[in-house]
Amino acid sequence: MAARPAAGGRASAALCLAAGALLGWLGGAAHAAADPTPAHAPQMQFVPPAPGTYQLQRIQRAPDAVLVDARYQQRRLATLTRDKVTLLTFFYTYCTDAWGCPFARQMMTSLRERLLARPQAAGRVRFVSISFDPTHDTPEALRLHAGQLHTDSRLPWEFLTARGMRELLPLLDDLGQDVRIEYDDSGRPTRTINHMLKLFLIDRDGVVREIYALDYLHPEAMLNDIETLLAEEGRSIGRGR
Amino acid sequence: MNSRKHFLALAVVAAVAGSAYADETCNSPYMSKLIKGQEEFVHVWTLGVEGLGDGSDKLVTIDVNPRSRNYGKVVHSISVATRGEAHHMGFTDDRRYLWAGGLGNSQIYVFDVGSDPARPRLVRTIGDFVARTGLVGPHTYYAMPGRMLVGALSNSTDKGGATGMAVYNNKGEFVAKYDMPKGEVGGVVGDGYGYDVAINPAKNALLTSSFTGIDNYRRSLGEVVGDPAAMKRFGNTMVLWDHKAMKPVQILSVPGAPLEIRWSLKPGDNWAITAAALTSKLWLVKQDADGKWQAKEVGTIGDPAKIPLPVDISITADGRGLWVNTFTDGMTRYFDLSNPEQPKQTYAKQTGKQVNMISQSWDGRRVYITSSLLERWDKTGEDNEQFLRAFHWDGKELTQAFEVDFTKEKLGRAHHMKFGARS
Repeated sequence: MAARPAAGGRASAALCLAAGALLGWLGGAAHAAADPTPAHAPQMQFVPPAPGTYQLQRIQRAPDAVLVDARYQQRRLATLTRDKVTLLTFFYTYCTDAWGCPFARQMMTSLRERLLARPQAAGRVRFVSISFDPTHDTPEALRLHAGQLHTDSRLPWEFLTARGMRELLPLLDDLGQDVRIEYDDSGRPTRTINHMLKLFLIDRDGVVREIYALDYLHPEAMLNDIETLLAEEGRSIGRGR
Repeated sequence: MNSRKHFLALAVVAAVAGSAYADETCNSPYMSKLIKGQEEFVHVWTLGVEGLGDGSDKLVTIDVNPRSRNYGKVVHSISVATRGEAHHMGFTDDRRYLWAGGLGNSQIYVFDVGSDPARPRLVRTIGDFVARTGLVGPHTYYAMPGRMLVGALSNSTDKGGATGMAVYNNKGEFVAKYDMPKGEVGGVVGDGYGYDVAINPAKNALLTSSFTGIDNYRRSLGEVVGDPAAMKRFGNTMVLWDHKAMKPVQILSVPGAPLEIRWSLKPGDNWAITAAALTSKLWLVKQDADGKWQAKEVGTIGDPAKIPLPVDISITADGRGLWVNTFTDGMTRYFDLSNPEQPKQTYAKQTGKQVNMISQSWDGRRVYITSSLLERWDKTGEDNEQFLRAFHWDGKELTQAFEVDFTKEKLGRAHHMKFGARS
């Protein structure tokens, strides 16, 4: 997803540095890219299979990293991808792409409300949002962006940032999360960060069990997936349709 | 900024920055960065030929940007240093990597095409496909988010057509295997054969087709056709799967080896089309009013009695047209799909002595054709042309723009194509 934020010299300069780091890591992916996503909402013209009637693939282990939360506390990602079912995504606070980070946030907020209506599920699920831009998205920026979401313990929603690109990039690489800075016609990095929208569903053992791209963002199907993982623990959450 | 203005702004940025978008009406819907303008490169997965060049399979990159001084020329070639019957390939979901496989050696090669599409690099070889799955002949590479769905042609036990699909993550680690169904599902008994895979995400529908095993596709075509028992060992089914659950929900009877599958990309459409190679028929797979999937023969390609052998097909972005290549007579045909229940052939031209793959740009104005079908099914002698030919299409006539002679260039047999662009 791409976004075009309001102008800001500090952030632009910061992003120049971030872009340099990104390019170094990605081996010179130096060409501008427009938004790759389809300009339409995901279509869902089917009834998803019932929870527990199918198995989600064990795609890969969720990686570890040292990150910082909105309270300036260092957090090990591994502790935030274990013991609960975790829905993890990457974002940046100034993303304005209608089908990018704001859409993911809207989807996760809606999902969160539906999970909160199921008390057995609420205490066993968490959300994690990690910023693409450690320079601009400081803990304070995360706090403002998160609002009340990150302080509601009924369904923890952790907003995290890295201390620098050096720590963020291996995490992105491990999860296969592409990210590229968009350039203007002078070859200078803009404040647009192109990336594929992906949400990672991680089981309580820290294994990625589903990855949702835009076309997969169906709340009913996602709820069923979460319930399927919870059912693996032998405790159905009784969604009460 | 509203989303329309936002996308417009992005398009302007992309245009000014010189980036490009292109084709690929047959790529996975989960793949990002479709190229909807002028493609810059065509990558050709090429079978090595003993005594020609290094004799190994290779990924050949051709510059197809008309503004380039290298237009129509091979600008890069990377050998995998072995000959394993290069066949098909597919991009990862983020289009950074291109997976390409060998039907003979069951190796899967992963090329980095994102860092510099003009100079792909081999970054990984996946050698555990047979050991992990019991399958051989990895054929179709279809991106899922963070994963690659690999459809196979055969198995390591009896080398027949019973086969399945495998899922690998984008790191190249094995994730899961799914067998093609052999029992009865939806009133039709499955043959267990496999070939292409294609997903319609809005319908949660995965559709698979069926071909034949390594005991047939690694024999000469003449021997196979002359062996009645061998001719019985071709797939006659397609399978509609619940994609989320990866479970077969309906087997469809489609006789004569239904091969390539193309979903209509037009929003709201609920159908896919395929061509059955041995019967030379077009088949429509469509959801009926009750939501049940039905397969229906809807058209004839050439004269089936002459076995023209329809191979690759390419659907237009709006789902209203279909290119069909037939291997035996070297013909390229265009069908009007305005009514997919009644395709009408509106154009035909012989584009080679043997033709197989066909790929069109997103706007349909450029069409690329390659020559090789299978190492042991290709024609011999003077009929064994090996090329990539590029054409312009104005809606009435295919006009050749350039040709790369893969034999003269000592490259090999030109097979599957994928587009690239610096974007």
